[in-house]
Formats: sequence, structure tokens, C-alpha cells
Amino acid sequence: MPVAIGNYIALSSVMFFIGVAGVLLRRNPLVMLMSIELMFNAANLLFMAFARAWLANAGQVFAFLVITVAAAEAAIGLAIVVTTFRSEKNVDVDEIRLLRG
Amino acid sequence: MTIPFTSADWNALVPIAIVAVAALLVLVVDLFVRGYAPRYVSIGIGLIGGIAAGVVVAGQFGHNYNAFFGGFMTGGFTSVFEEIVLLALLGSLILYGAIGTPDRVAGTTALMLWSTCGAMLMAGAANLMTIFLGLELLSLSLYCLCGMVDRKTAREAALKYLILSSTATGFMLYGMALLFGATGSVMLADFVNPALASSALFWMGGGMFLIGLAFKLSLVPFHTWAPDVYEGAPLPVTAFMSVATKAATLAVFARFLYAALPSGAAEKLLLPMWIVAGISMIVGNAGMLAQHDLKRLLAYSGIAQAGYILTAMAGGSALGLRYAMFYLTAYTFMNLGAFAVAAVISNDGEQGSRLTSYEGLAHRRPLLATAMTIFLLALAGLPPTAGFLGKILILSSSVSAGYDWMAALLIAGTAISLYAYGKTIFAMYARPRHEPHDPKPCAPLAWASVVICAVAVIAMTFYPLTPSNILPLVK
Repeated sequence: MPVAIGNYIALSSVMFFIGVAGVLLRRNPLVMLMSIELMFNAANLLFMAFARAWLANAGQVFAFLVITVAAAEAAIGLAIVVTTFRSEKNVDVDEIRLLRG
Repeated sequence: MTIPFTSADWNALVPIAIVAVAALLVLVVDLFVRGYAPRYVSIGIGLIGGIAAGVVVAGQFGHNYNAFFGGFMTGGFTSVFEEIVLLALLGSLILYGAIGTPDRVAGTTALMLWSTCGAMLMAGAANLMTIFLGLELLSLSLYCLCGMVDRKTAREAALKYLILSSTATGFMLYGMALLFGATGSVMLADFVNPALASSALFWMGGGMFLIGLAFKLSLVPFHTWAPDVYEGAPLPVTAFMSVATKAATLAVFARFLYAALPSGAAEKLLLPMWIVAGISMIVGNAGMLAQHDLKRLLAYSGIAQAGYILTAMAGGSALGLRYAMFYLTAYTFMNLGAFAVAAVISNDGEQGSRLTSYEGLAHRRPLLATAMTIFLLALAGLPPTAGFLGKILILSSSVSAGYDWMAALLIAGTAISLYAYGKTIFAMYARPRHEPHDPKPCAPLAWASVVICAVAVIAMTFYPLTPSNILPLVK
């Protein structure tokens, strides 16, 4: 069954904006990190769909690269969140505001 | 079956590999060296690695190589941006040696070297994958570096930087996916195709890609992270971040602008970027007025300086790129110099970042106050410093490219900034403050970098006045 590329674009943009909304609206750093992962994965889905549409392998390679980098990012992100939790006993980014832009 | 590995690949690889291997060496050697030595051993290896890479890159000036099937370009402006990043590495390693805490030296040095690798990768990237990889290597190392000291503000800076910067990376990555969708290729060189000017995917992808770049450059709607992160991060890290991130991102932007846009689309796609740069020059300079902390002051100054450099590139002339690189080099010296002064003033670098500790500095330490005056004058763009010449060159290139309004905004921004810089300079000279003279011996390494930066900022004023550079000023 052929599926039009537009469907993939629509799904991935929905995923992407759920991710953006998560970062903007949620206040727990862990959930914010998860939302960022969702943004990355929306891009991955798009890479895979376009790789198939163009028959270009570069898109698949890119998706693997993103998965690897996102794993490193999650590791570092969790480490930073854990050190913050240990010192602040606090899970709300609104309460973490010694520095104000 | 063989896999081709050309001398171009080798040339592209060597400088980055030197820095990466130096980082591994730092970590391994740290296991075997005990006692007081690790601090100097780690930083020494880092400095040697940085200098070696700098020498190799210097040998590549003027030779253009197209390495890894077009994924990485060496020579050309890549070499200049790589040298600027390495300069930032050396400067901040010296500052770290002067004031850093001794217990985490190996890790911090290694992370600084790795983020340098990322920045160098971005400097030569001609392929979306290479850009993404370099950007993430730079950013991930910087998140860790921000949180490398035991201080509440440092942890907060790391968390803020992590969340906001990753979100921006998400935008950029999604933009890259759309660009890939528009072209079926990840090579920047394939974006020149004029048929793309009518592709909706290309416009959306290009726009989101530019949003990511604007965030990394801390241009105005996306600038709020910069003052907080600069203030919270350890001083040497702030010094490194302020220069290396800008240089690497500007290199990517230059590659995108000069080598990767369909001819009809460039002006329309980039117009928002120029507008954002123009607003940054006003808002960044106005933001400086309210600051009481040197790092925050320099963060807002950096927002404006990124706008100045983009002004030079507006219109996309080759001369503009040269002027942008000149100004970026000058900015590297003035910025590192200002941070080095803060390092000399206090050994931990934190007290030295409060602007009140500069009151009456000219009476306590006249030489240091003179150096700081030179750096602030250069940041403000007043003669006889490289900042002045750089601004004149930027103005000439933007006016001749037809971006008069950006030149006007640059002048307006400079006028605002004069008050903020002048206030600091005035406080150093006019307000005698009878504090007991600081008995702590100031670190000779930090002093050395202050002197080198001050000499460079003055000397650069006289360097580039060749006929080919003067001529466009006359026209």
C-alpha cells in the first residue's frame, strides 16, 4: 500500500510540536529532556521517510548518527539533572533561578 | 577492494586528531601522575596539543582541500576559524592554569580539548552531518564544562544551557531533515540548485536551520540564555565559550551563506537574519547598561558583537567575509584579555567578575587598569585599537553591499555601548577606593595573557592596512 510522503511529514511535525510544547509548558527538567528527545526523533522519522522517498542512504546514516548523539546527550543531561536534584532537592525549573536574564 | 584515503582527507584530519589525542593523553597521564603536578601536566599537554594543531593549520593557509567526499573543507576560511578556536583554547587553558581549582583539572582540560574538536569540525563542515556532529561535540562538552565547579550558580547555568541549547539543536536538526527532504542530499554544495527557490520544504528547513544558528550566536529573540550561562559558568569556560561558539557558528553560517544558497533565494531567506542581527546590536548594547557583573556585561556585549560580525557578512561579498574574520580575530583578543584581567584581579575569578571590584583599580594597579581600558575601548570600537579599525571595515562593507540600515543600527548600538563601557572605565580611574592592597600574588600566567592580548589588540590596528583593504574604503 503506497503511503504519500505528506503523511510522514504531518506525523513528524505533530511529534515535533508536541516536543516543543513539552519544553515550553512542562517544568520538570526530566520531562523537558524527554520532550527534546521527541523533537530529535521527529527529525529522525523525517530523515527515514525522505531517505526512502529519494532512495538516498545519507538520510538513514544521519538517523543513526542522531540516535548515537542523542544517547550521549541524554547521558550528560541526566547527569546534570541529577547533580542539580542532589543539591537543590527540587524538581521545578521555576524554582531554580539564582540567575536571571 | 580498497577505500580511497587521499592526502586531502589526511590534511583535514590531522589538526583535529591532534587535539582529540591530546585530550585522551591528558586523561591517561592523569592516572599515573600524583601530587601537585597534575595541574601543570594536564594543562601543559593541552597547550602543546593546541599549539601543534595551530602550526599544522597554519601550514594549510591558502591550500584548499576537499576532504571526505566533500564533507569537510580545509584551507580557505576554515583555517582562519580553526586558528581562532585554537587561540580561544590556548587563552582559556592558560586562564584555567592560573585560577582553576586543582581537583578537576584533567577532566576540564580534556573537555575543553574535545569541545575545540567540535568547533574545528564545524569550521570546515560542508555537510549537514558534519555540522551536526561538530555542533553536538562542542555543545555537549560545554554543558559539562559549565557544571564543572561546585557552585549553585554553575549547576544552574549547566541545566539552563542544556535545556535551551538542546531545544535549539532540535530546531536545527528538524531544519536539516527538511533541507534533506528538499534536495535528497546532505551536502551543502547541492543546495545551490536554483529550482530549490520554489520549494516550500527548502524555505522551512532553511528557516529552522537559521533559528538554530541564531540561538548559538545568541542573537536577540534567542539571547536570554547567554548572560545567565556566562555568569554561572567558571571564568575560563566563559572565556572559551564566548569565542569558540561564536567562531564555529559563524563558520557554518558563512559556509551556508557563501556556498549553499540558490542565487534567487539568498536575499529573501537571509533578510530575517540581518534584521535579527540589527536588533541584537541595539538590545545587546542597551542590556549592558544595567549590569553589575563583568561576565554579564561581556555576555550582552557578545550579543551585540555577533550582530556586528553578521553586519560585515550582509550582502555576501567576499570582502565582507574577510572583514568579519578580521573583526572576529580582534574580538577574540579583546574578550580573552578582559577575562584575563578578571582572572588577575582575583584568584578564583568570581570576585573579579563583580564590577565593583574595578572601582579605583587605576590607583591600586595602574598597569592592569591600562590593559582593561584598552580591552574596553576595543570592545567599544574606539581608536587606537583593533576594534575601531574592525568597525570601520564592517561599515564600509555593509554600506557598499547596500545594507545602509544595518550600518546605521551599528552606529546607534555603538553610541549606546559607549556609555556602558565608559562607565566602567570611569569607575576605574575616578573613584579612589581605599581598600587594603590585595596581598595575593597574581598569577604570572594570567598576566602573560593580559599582556599578549593587549599587544595584539593594539598591533592589529596597524596590520591589515594594505592597498587591497584600503581601496574599498575610498570608493
